[in-house]
Amino acid sequence: MSQKNSDGKRSARERMQEERAADEARARRLRKLGIAGAVVAVLVVAVVVGILVMNSKSTSYSASQAPAGTTGSNNLVVPVGAVNAPSTLTIYEDPRCPACGDFEKSFHTTVNQLLGAGKVQIHYHVVSFIDRHDQGSGSKNAANALGCAQNTGHFHAYHDVLYANQPDETVDAWSDKSKLITLAKQVPGLDTPTFEACVNNNTFGPWVTAVETDFDKSGYNSTPTILLNGTAAYPSYKNTPLTPQSLVTLVDAANKGKPLGTLTPASASALASPNAHAS
Amino acid sequence: MRLGLAVVWAWAGLAKISDPETAAQAVRAYRILPESLVKPFGYGLPFLELAVALLLVVGLGTRIAAFVSGVLLLVYIAGIASVWARGIAIDCGCFGGGGAVAASKTEYLQEILRDTGFLLLTAWLLWRPASKLSLDRWLAAD
Repeated sequence: MSQKNSDGKRSARERMQEERAADEARARRLRKLGIAGAVVAVLVVAVVVGILVMNSKSTSYSASQAPAGTTGSNNLVVPVGAVNAPSTLTIYEDPRCPACGDFEKSFHTTVNQLLGAGKVQIHYHVVSFIDRHDQGSGSKNAANALGCAQNTGHFHAYHDVLYANQPDETVDAWSDKSKLITLAKQVPGLDTPTFEACVNNNTFGPWVTAVETDFDKSGYNSTPTILLNGTAAYPSYKNTPLTPQSLVTLVDAANKGKPLGTLTPASASALASPNAHAS
Repeated sequence: MRLGLAVVWAWAGLAKISDPETAAQAVRAYRILPESLVKPFGYGLPFLELAVALLLVVGLGTRIAAFVSGVLLLVYIAGIASVWARGIAIDCGCFGGGGAVAASKTEYLQEILRDTGFLLLTAWLLWRPASKLSLDRWLAAD
């Protein structure tokens, strides 16, 4: 009798213990689910917030923010020379890129003569990706300053001055905007209070970013990228290595039978002298 | 272990959030994703990395964070191997930067070996997620 009773008590106690254990297991499962839910929520929220933050940080750009006289889709191109010239050189250059400095050193006299003769017009894309590679802000500052110069019709002369005075790639000298303003004094009529404010306030920053993004999407991935009438021309055009001499020959061949371009007074005065900064 | 991996992810994430254009270009340079997906990935990934770092630091859901971390690393290794195989010269953009580089400056093998090292850390965490001083331990309170 007493045996049976104690059996019943024990089993009741066991049942209670089992229930408590089951309760605890359930609570632990819930807690684990809660943690997992919280973790997944943190990850999802982070990604959504991230996309929103980055979107708000990426500068919006409209063609009306471009320097005066720019052309092309969204005004990302700086045109130099006669608009009706029979051949077009498209040049993607980064102000800090040493290979661009080498190209300019070898070619600028020839290129400027071709421009002056109305044989070619140039479409400049002022890109600024070196800042990403080597850290810094010199490319963007210089690209903005070139935009400021373009705004008053001094792009080409200032462009030649900058390349003639290019700092070493790894020295981010143009992170100091005052150096860009000092160099502007070499271009008659460029250095005005308006120009200095434009350089210091990064006025054409959104345009510079838009030009770079356009280059990012172009599939070209190094500078200088030079196209002659849409065909890659540097370091060689088809199988012809590009030299100042072969460039003239190639342009003349492409222009055969076509009238030369005529420079308007404005586009003529915007040309840099072929022999300035010859080194 | 947890903290080491957290530092890696935090560093990787922070290095990428300063410039959205650079982040987008780092993704675009792999030439895998269509243009419409470049921005969501370029913008979202750094923050996913930061979130993983945060979870690892506080030790919340360590196993899940380790799993996500492992998936990310496998995707990155696959991406680097893919550009390597296709002969595209880029910087992996792993810790910021990214984009085209001279062919002589690619470091695919080092990048893959480094990521594989991180993957080993991750595997350890998947196997042994529990550790002292973690929210997991504190919340379970047993």
